[in-house]
Formats: sequence, C-alpha cells, structure tokens
Amino acid sequence: MSDIRHSLLRRDALSAAKEVLYHLDIYFSSQLQSTALPIVDKATIELVEDFIFHVPKDRGVQLKRMSSLQELQLLEIMCSYFQEQSKDAVRQLIFSALFSPQGNKADDSRMAMLGKLVSMAVAVCRVPILECAASWLQRTHALYCVRLAKVLVDDYCSLVPGSLQTLQHIYTASPRFCCQFITAVTALYDFSSEDLIPSPGLLEMVVTWVVDDPRLTLITFLNMPISASLPLGSLGVTPLLGLVRWCVKAPLAKRAKESAPTADTESFYSKLHLGVLQILLMLQVHLTEKNLFGRLELLQFEHVVQLVEELNPLNASREIELSLNRLAQVLQVSLSAGALLCTREDLRSLCSRLPHNNLLQLVMSGPVQQPPHSPFQPGFYPHIHTPPLGYPPRPSPPAHNTHPSHPAPQFLPGMSFPYRPIR
Amino acid sequence: MSALFDGAPLTAMQSSQPLQTSISPQELALEIKAFISGVDQAQGRKLSMRDHARCAVRLLRTVPACRGAALEHLRGVYDEYVLTFLQDLEGESNGGIGSGGTLGLEDVIQEIHGVLSEFIRLNPKAWAPLVSTWAVELLGQLSSKHAGRRGAPHSSSLNELLQLWMSCSATRSLMESYSQCLAAMLAWCPDACVDALLDTSVQHSPHFDWVVAHIGSSFPGTIISRVLACGLKDFCAHGYQGSAASLEIPSQQGSLALTSMEKTCRIPKIGSVVGILGHLASRHSDSIKKELLRMFQESLSPAQPSAGAVVRDNSPQLRRATVPFLLQLAALSPTLLGAVSAELVEFLRPPVLLQLQDQFQALQREELDNMVGLTVHLISHSPAGGPRVLRFLVDSATPASVIMSGPVAAPQEGVREACDRLLQLLLLHLHKLVYNRPDGEDVYPVSSSSSFSSPPRIIPFLEELRGHVGELCAETLRLERKRHLWLHQLLCLLSVYGGPSVATEALCRLLTLARSPEELALASQLHAPLSTCLPGLLPAVVVRCVAQIHTQSLGSKDLGQLLNNLASVIHGSEDEAKGAGGAAAQSSMAAQVGAAISSHLHDFCPLLLNGNPAVSQAAARLLSCSQLSRAASPAQLLVISRAAVAHFFLALRRRSEVSAGKDAGGEEVSYSIRLLSRLAAFSPLTQKAVLQQLVEGALHRGNADLFGDQRENPDGDLFSQSLTPDLGASLLDINCKFGTTVNFSGSVWSVFHAGVIGRGLKTPHSLPQCDPDQITQNVQILLAVAVHCCGSSGGGTGNGAGTGGTRYQFPEEPAPISAEAAKVIAMALVENVCPDVANGELVWPPEEHARTTVERDIHIRRCFEQNPVIFHLLRVVAAGRPALCYCSVVLRGLLATLLAHWESSREPMTLDSPWHLQASCLLVSCMGEGQLLPPVLSNMHEIIPHLTPFEVRLLLLAVWEYMRGNSPMPQKFSFSADKGLFYRDFSRDGDLSRYLAPLYSVLHKNIDQLGHLCWRFQLS
Repeated sequence: MSDIRHSLLRRDALSAAKEVLYHLDIYFSSQLQSTALPIVDKATIELVEDFIFHVPKDRGVQLKRMSSLQELQLLEIMCSYFQEQSKDAVRQLIFSALFSPQGNKADDSRMAMLGKLVSMAVAVCRVPILECAASWLQRTHALYCVRLAKVLVDDYCSLVPGSLQTLQHIYTASPRFCCQFITAVTALYDFSSEDLIPSPGLLEMVVTWVVDDPRLTLITFLNMPISASLPLGSLGVTPLLGLVRWCVKAPLAKRAKESAPTADTESFYSKLHLGVLQILLMLQVHLTEKNLFGRLELLQFEHVVQLVEELNPLNASREIELSLNRLAQVLQVSLSAGALLCTREDLRSLCSRLPHNNLLQLVMSGPVQQPPHSPFQPGFYPHIHTPPLGYPPRPSPPAHNTHPSHPAPQFLPGMSFPYRPIR
Repeated sequence: MSALFDGAPLTAMQSSQPLQTSISPQELALEIKAFISGVDQAQGRKLSMRDHARCAVRLLRTVPACRGAALEHLRGVYDEYVLTFLQDLEGESNGGIGSGGTLGLEDVIQEIHGVLSEFIRLNPKAWAPLVSTWAVELLGQLSSKHAGRRGAPHSSSLNELLQLWMSCSATRSLMESYSQCLAAMLAWCPDACVDALLDTSVQHSPHFDWVVAHIGSSFPGTIISRVLACGLKDFCAHGYQGSAASLEIPSQQGSLALTSMEKTCRIPKIGSVVGILGHLASRHSDSIKKELLRMFQESLSPAQPSAGAVVRDNSPQLRRATVPFLLQLAALSPTLLGAVSAELVEFLRPPVLLQLQDQFQALQREELDNMVGLTVHLISHSPAGGPRVLRFLVDSATPASVIMSGPVAAPQEGVREACDRLLQLLLLHLHKLVYNRPDGEDVYPVSSSSSFSSPPRIIPFLEELRGHVGELCAETLRLERKRHLWLHQLLCLLSVYGGPSVATEALCRLLTLARSPEELALASQLHAPLSTCLPGLLPAVVVRCVAQIHTQSLGSKDLGQLLNNLASVIHGSEDEAKGAGGAAAQSSMAAQVGAAISSHLHDFCPLLLNGNPAVSQAAARLLSCSQLSRAASPAQLLVISRAAVAHFFLALRRRSEVSAGKDAGGEEVSYSIRLLSRLAAFSPLTQKAVLQQLVEGALHRGNADLFGDQRENPDGDLFSQSLTPDLGASLLDINCKFGTTVNFSGSVWSVFHAGVIGRGLKTPHSLPQCDPDQITQNVQILLAVAVHCCGSSGGGTGNGAGTGGTRYQFPEEPAPISAEAAKVIAMALVENVCPDVANGELVWPPEEHARTTVERDIHIRRCFEQNPVIFHLLRVVAAGRPALCYCSVVLRGLLATLLAHWESSREPMTLDSPWHLQASCLLVSCMGEGQLLPPVLSNMHEIIPHLTPFEVRLLLLAVWEYMRGNSPMPQKFSFSADKGLFYRDFSRDGDLSRYLAPLYSVLHKNIDQLGHLCWRFQLS
C-alpha cells in the first residue's frame, strides 16, 4: 500500500484521485473473486481520505487540494465509472468504501463530495449512482442521510430555480432512491423550527410522488429481505412517520409562519394526508403478504409518542382541531392496518394531554368491529359496544428491535380482533 | 449593439423554464464533459472563451453540483475580460486602436450578471452568502492582480481607481452583484459580511479600497456602525495595550504615513476601519459623527443597550476600550478627528467627566500617560472646534471659587486637576511644535515631502485659533487667576506660530482693550518673547492700529483707550529713561513704539478733532508725548499743525464748557499746549504754520467768544432776524431812492453800520457773556502758547513740558520772542484784520489821507472792538521787534478811527468813552513796546486817561505825525547779539522836539494833574 501512496504523492490532486479510483476498482474486483463478502480495510479508507477527500493529517505532508474544476472533473469521472461498472457488487463496495462515514474529520469532505456526486447524478440521471445512494441511505445513520437530503433540497429546491423538475424525475429513474429520499427529507423537515418547514416546491414534489404512486413509499420495505435488520440509528424503512408528522404538524406550523400561502399548501397537505392513509391501507395487504402483520411495527409507538408530545396543546384552536383530526385518522388506520402496534390503553394515556377532540375520542374508544380485510369505512363507528382491544399491554421498548424476528405470529390475517371496552 | 447586450440576459432568463425541460440528462452530461474538457463534444472543436463561459452559465443554471466549478471558471472569464479591458486602455493611451477583445465577452458578462442577480433575487438566503464570498474574493484578486499595470492608476488615488473599475463592466457587474448580496445579507448576518469585507480588505490592502469605499457609500448606515463595532472588538482583543505608546512617536511624523504603516504591521483591522471610514467621511460624515458619538455615549452608559440601536455585546471590557479606541481612530485619521472633535466637547458635561474619571482610574499610570499624550496630540491636530476645546479645558481647569465648592468637591477636584495637567501638557506640546518647526524642507526631508506641501508644519489647533485671537486677548485681559497665564502663554505661542500677522493682531488687540496698567503690562510681556523672533513687530502693530483708525473699525471708547495706551507706553519710556533705565525690554518697546508712532503722526491727527472728547484728548496726549519725525513731509506737518491748532481751540472751548472747578478740560489743554510748543519748536515751517493758525483761530468768529468777543453772533443775527419782524429795510430800495434822499458824505454803507435810517439805532445785541475770569484765563493761555511758540524756532530742543503739578507749565525762562515768529503773527494779524491791501504799505501817509480809507479803518476798529485779544497779540508782536512794523496798516487804521472819534467826541472827559481810551492807551504803549515810537512819545499813554478828548486827539495827531516822519521800517532795527534782540536807535531819527510840542502844551495846560508825570517826557 505504501508504494502506491508514494507514487500518488508525486501526482497532482486530480490524477491521484483518479489513480485511487482505479486502484479501488482493481482491488475490489480481485477481492470479490476471492471472497464473497470483502471488507473495506483501514488502509483503503485512509488512501481514500488522503487522496480523494484531501483530509489534512498531521503527517507533515501538505496534500494538494483540488480546485472546484478538478473536483468537477473527478465527479464526472466517478459518474462515468459508476455508470460503466457493470458489476453491481463492485459498485456498491466502492461506493461504500468512498462514502461510508467513518466518524472522523474526513466525514465533512466526504459528505460534501457525496452531496455533489448525488446531485450531479440526479442532474445527469445516473441510475447506478442513485441506486448506490439509496443503499447508502438505507444503511447509514440518519444524521448523514439528512445531510445528503439537505444538499439535494438546497441544490434543487432553493439554489437553482426551475431545477425542481430534474429532481422530480428521479422517481422514474430510481424509485428506490426516491423512496429513501422522501424518508430522509421528511426526517429532515420535522417542523421543529421555522427553517425546518418544507418549502412549497419541495412539498408539492413529495405530494406529487406520494399521490401519484403510494406504493413508491413502500419500495424499500418491499425490497427489504424479511430477515434484514436495520442498522442502529438509520432512517425508517418507510417515510410514513415523517409524512404523518408533516400532515399533523403542518396546520400548527402554518399558524406560526403567517406569511405562508395557505390555500395551496393546505390542499397539498390534505392530499398528502389522503395519500398517507392510502399507503397505510396498502400496507396492510403487504404486511399480510409478507406474513409480518403484527410483527413489524412500521410506525413505531415511541415515535408516535414523540410526535404527540411535539404538538403544542396551547394552540387550542381551529388549527389544532385539524391536526388532531388527522392524527386520529392516522392512528385509527395505522392501528387497523397493523402499522402501529399498541393497546388502546396506551393510546389513551398518550392522548390524555391533548385537547379534546371528538374524532380522537372515537378512535380511543375504538370501533365495535373492524373487519381486517375490508377497506376502511369511516362512517361505521358504533361507539356503544367497544370490544376489548386484542393487544396485550406493550412490551418493554428494547424488545422492539427484535420485531422482525419475532418468534410467533400472534395474529393471523383473517382473524377477527377481540375488542374490549375502554374504561 | 447595446440592445443586443441588454437582450442577451433577458432571453436567457425567459428561456430558463423551457431550458430545464428541454435538456435531457444525456445532453447535460455532454455539456458537463464539454465544460470540463473545453471541447465541444458534438463537433469536436475547441470551445471559444465565450462559448465556454456560456456553457458554464448553462451548467450554473441546470446542474447544481457544478456550481463551484462554474463560478471558478467564471473567475477566469472576468479576469480575461479585465485584462483585455486594461490592454485596450493601454492601447488607447499609446495611440493605437484597442483590440476590441472585450466586446466578445461583454454580453457573457451581462449574462452572468443577469443569472446571478436573478438567483439572488429569487433566493437571497441561499445565494447571497455564496455569491458575496465569490464576488468579494474575485474583486480582491482582480484589483490586486491588475494593480501594477500601466493602465491602472496608482492605488493611492482612490477616486481614479474607483472610476477605472466602475467603468469596466466586469468589475462593475461584480460590484452590483455584491451590493445585491449585501443588501440581502445585512438583514440577518451583518457582522459576518462586514467581517468578510474587512478581511478581504486587509488581504488586498490598498488595491481593494475602492470596493470598500463603494460598498460603504451604498450602505453607509450599517457599514459604518458595523465597521466600528468590528474595529472595536478587534481593538479590544489585541491592540489596546501600549498601542497608544507606539503611536505617539510616528504620529508626529504625519498621520497619513502612519496609517499605511499601521495597516501593514500592527493592528490590521483598525487600519481598514480608518481607511473605510476615511472614504466614507467625505459624503457621510454626519452619520459617522453620530455613530462615533453614540459609541462614546454608550461606552459611558452602564450596560443598557439603547433601544433603537442594534443590540451589541456591551461587556465592561469593551466599554472600557471604547475611549482609547476612539482616540486611536482619531489619531489615525484626521478626517475622523475633524468629524468628532467639534462635537465631542459638547458631551463632556460634569457627570460625563466623572464617569470618564472613574473609568480611567482603573488604568495603569503608563497607559494613562499614553492616553493623555495622545489626547494632547489630537487636540493640537484637530482641525475644527479648537476654541471650544480650549474653552472647555480652561473652564474645567480653572479652580472653582470658594462659593462653588459643594459636596461634589472631591471628584470635581480630580477632574480639574486632570484638565489642568492636560492643559499644561498641551501648552508644552504646542511649545515644542511651534519652536521646533522646521524652517525649510531639509529638516524632515522624508516626512515633509511625503505628507506636507508647505515647509512650515501646520498645527491645526493653532491654525484655527488664529481666527480667535481677539477673543483670546479679551479673555486674557480679564486677568482671572490662572486663566490668563495659560491664555497668555497660548497667545505667545500663537503669535510665534502665526508670524507677524497674528502677533500684530494680538498686540493690537491688547493695546486696544487694556484698561489698566496691569493689563497693559500684558502687552509688553507678550512683546518681550516675540521681539526676539519677530523683528519689526512694533512698527507693524502701529501700522495696524493706524489702519484700524482709518477703517473706523473701532468704537470711540476703544479708540480713546488705544490712543491712551499707546501714549502710556511711550510715556513709560520717558519715565523709565528718567528712572535710570528700568526694564530694558519695556523701554525698548516704548522707544520702538514711539518711533513707529512718530512716523504715523499725521494719521493720528484727524483724531484730535474727533467728536468724542475722550478720543481727542487721548490723541492729544499721544501726540504731545511723541516726537515728530524728521522724515515727515511738509504737507504732513501742515496737516498736523492745523489739526493741533484746531484742537487747541476745541480744548479751550471744552474747558470753558466744563464746569470751572473741574480739571478735566485743563488736562487736555495742557496736552494741546505741549503739542503746539513741540510743533513750533520742530521747524520754522511748523512754527509759522502754528502761529498763523493760532492767530486765525483766535480771530475766527467761532472762537472769538472765548476771548471776549463783543460782536453780535452771526447765528444770533439769523436768530434775531427770524424773531424780530422784518423792518423791510433793503439796500436795494435805499439805492433806488438814492437821488431823492440826502446825499450823505462818505459811503452809503456806513449808514447801515448803525442801523436803518429812520428806525433809530440797531438794538445792541447782548450776548450771554462768558465768565470774565474764564476769558482772561483763555487769553492768558492763548498768549502763553503764542509766546511759547514764538520762542527760538527750529532748535528742536524738545525739552517739552513735563507734566508737573501746575496746570500749564512752561519752561521757566521762555525764550525771547523771535523776530521771525513775531513777523508771522503780524502778517497773520494784518491779513485777518485788514480787509483790503490797498494803501497797505508800511509808510504812513499824511493824516488827511485817512479819509480815503474810512471804510477800512472802521472795519479795523470793529475788529479791535470785537476781539480784544488782538491787542494782546499786538503786544506779542511788539515784543518781537521789529515785527510790529508789518502791522502798520492795522495800527494806522486804528489810530485814524481813534482820531476821528476823539475829534467828534463832545464828552468832557476821555473816561466817558472807555473803550477808545483804553484802545488809545494800548495802541500807544504797544507801539512804544515795538519801538515804533520813541519812549518819550509812547509814555504818553500814561497821561491819556487824564485828558479831554480834544487833547487826546492832539497827542495822537502828534503820534501820527511822528510816524509819518519816521516810517516804521524793519531796516531801522539792528540786532544786538548780546541780548539776542533787535533794537532801534532813535538818535538817528533826527529831532523829536517838533513832535513833542503838542505834548508839552497839553502837559502845561494840565500841569496841576500831570505834574508828577512830566519827567516821563523829558528828552534825555
């Protein structure tokens, strides 16, 4: 490795980076032939950090930095490389060797480069890169994913006017990436501050995606092997939580930000809400198909708790009414769709701090009968006889991570739920 | 052409939307490749600069990831454009034709600018930081890179630089973009962008100044306050200690040089701050001033951010650093100093001073010294507001009076001491500056050539005070405790600094305003140090005074004071000289002043006749104690003497008007007498003029009443005419009736002398008579003056009158009356008394011929009647033998009328017509005195009162006869050297006896009464 390093030191920044890329290609190709699952060793990582990301290290050697132009050239080279590399495995390996966060100070330039690369891939429609990026988003910690999303949103939604169209097209180019992107974006824009409210353009794009094809949001989930476990702190499998948050919190946020055009965005949020409900309904089918109903909590309860806590009950007005209505609907549908696994007891304690809302009250009481397969019928709510909820009290939180590998399915599709009344 | 340029970005903007959709990802990829390689991918040819740039712009619009690269590439485009632009300029200056290379890029630049400004407009938050960083860096690079070119002006000429770069459309568009960004960014992160600006400014120091200047004038409010805030923070962080000390020395060399030096080495930011504010000062000095003052005030007010201002961190440390920071700023930039200094003093009210003192008590002694030094330096260099500062300092430093000391005495005392110290140091500093000024360029060759155009260093503080010399003088003259010492010192410095003009003004003011000897002493104290370095000062002062007199810029009070002071100064010299030489300086000053004044005497003489008594008296005093200059021209001398004589009569009149008991007028008269005698003694010319004027004046109708005028006042005539009914008497009427009326013998005129025939006598006009004592005194004075003036002439002995206790003191032994002088009086008398010159010869005609001259004789007699003083003058003439000869016409006329009178008189005794008797006696005795008559004849005046009119006529006839027989000729007199007088030898005139016959017969007839007098008429 050191001889490579020596030869690289003599080159200029760009050609050194190219050389490293070439080296990686050869290295991993040969590795793949020998072992099924090659690991990226430390020396390689260092090589990448030194000669591609130009992280200054106190080794006394002043490394040459690339100019923006050279960087662009490098990006172009990478684009072409990933495009032309036919082996998916090599591609993935190299991508992760290049861009997996290492938790050191190289991460900043790594993320910058990644942002540019993905942004460029979006512009010139490099599907392989987008696929790689989708995988990257799946396995990387949410913090980094959010950063990448931020770069893309900045680039396409705010910096370059009129380029939103380009970003919109990734739906056709790489639905997987699109799904991950939605997840990241909804995680990023969590309405916690004024800066973190999605811009109308972004909102429109996401709503369009969701409404046009609700299935899009479930692509990651559907493609995911059942046994696969999510790395700690990564994004959710579906953007459902984020989308729910958007719908529920949007009315309240608008109130804070009075200047926002209300009518348009309001209709978008309504559409989005509808979309979310449809996704949840669709989810029931897929969960059942995958034999995961009641085992996989796609809408984790503690996240819902968090969301409820974020709602500011002081805003007792028309806006909170709307958001509570949405929350109630989502809760009801996700409960019934099996996306949310909790008892009505839990729900009641959760919602006790919220202002009174009729719909929410109904949801907490629960429907008398809910045929699991039939589509959702909002008109049918006999609230006198509320059967007892069939779920046991919630297990302790650490157990949630084991959901995918839950041993015995308690509830099978087709079985009616025994409800019990709420007291 | 321009339409094309203007249109290009527009179409690009319009087509932006379709552009997005129309370009497929594949095309974009090609575009990126083309951009990277610079080769058109489709056609395989190399892209031109222009196409390459367009490609970059397209990528900028479409591929966000290319942003950095595109902007970087555009740098090159801008650079290329500027290069071509400058080459064109150089080509033009060489006379050649520019290559026109900029034209190709012009529209690209426009397009870039259009795109960027569109971006910024659409999303300022995202783009403004990006573009501003890029633009400011690029501007910095461009301006330093091309600074050395031939086409570019030198970096010191900011305006030219600004003009050049703003005429280059590349830099202009960059500048516009940058302004746009700043306008957006100032709303949310003002500190950051000003910091960036300052940093860039420091990096590309002098070449970048035009950017800062331009930006500053676009956003004056924010930039000023931000720049100051940044500067203060920086100063607080690392400047401060000892910075003042390092400043002190170089700042004396000139603050401009310092500024550039500071910039490079010590505190970089304060240099930029000063530079920026300096640029802005020309147009926004008001806001800068406000901002600085606000900073100052905020630094004093305890941590409460003012409501309107941006909330800034108001830490005590920062506040404590504010005042030193402001001082430092002011020291670095004269413009800032000028902006603040004038107003700052207004804020220094007692509470503020206390706060300041509290603040500075915490400082170390060394630091404090530095600050005081800096302050002194600043004061001496502040171009405006100097008088206010001075007033403030002096006011604060003056010890409070006993009454003022209250409960706050202790801190007040501290403040006072500080101010006192400051003032002392200021004076010391000024002293150094003034006396160490280089005389020529060779002393500080480097600094003076670089920073100052005029060889003598300018000290702005003194420069400004030049205009306030008058106030300073007035203030100084108040003689308030310490105050006047400081101010006097300052005046001295100011005079040395300002050269003769200021020095003369100061002295002139002092001389004008001083009201007591102590105050006047200030003038000489001021003169003493100045005399060494300013030669010819006192003459200049006098010239200035004279100029003031001519322009009548002084009030009469001041004028009188000035003259008195001048006189006192001269006088002092005489006293000093007598008192065995006191202060040499003072006497030298007096001598110089005396000399200077004597050459300007004629300028002072109009003042003798000034309407204000005080002025004229002062003028008389001044003139009487100053020497006449030998250089004076006759015309000037005549003017002086005329004025002096006129003043003499004026003084007499005033004296008689003033109540008798007071001595007020007397003093003036004494000055006048001294002046006249000085004049007379000066030269024959002046003597003659003076005497002539004196006689004329004495006989002048206006003055006649002083000397017992009997005649009707001409004014009274008019007065009576208006009051009394017109009698209808008209000479014309009378003449028309001439034939019908009795033909009187003699002239018809005579009729009117006594009144209109048929109406009785004219009512005698009784005037309010002056006090006879007064008149006598006046006559005495006049005679004394005349006699004195007749003294030996031309000697110029100059032993003028000393001012003793007696009023009109003359030299104890008046010199004998000189013949020449007496002749002058005689001639003047004749001219004034005798109306025509017919029959005016010296030789006496037969008595009968007197009839031909009745008219004239009557006139002469009336003159004598009205002016008793003539007799006295005649006596003076008589004393100066043989001058009386020239009066023979007058004597003859008088004698003729007397003869006529006595002939017609039917009174039993001569005593019944007292005037004629007296006149006869006086005439005869006077002629005897003048040796026109031998003593035997002249003695007859002793018996005349005892005779009858007829006898008197006989005697007078005898006199006439004698005169006819022995004509009064000057040749008959001979000079006796031992007595210094002329004498006539009557023995040569032949027999007297035939003239004595009537005398003897009269004696015989009245022997009973006149026996005891017979011996008087014995011929020896």
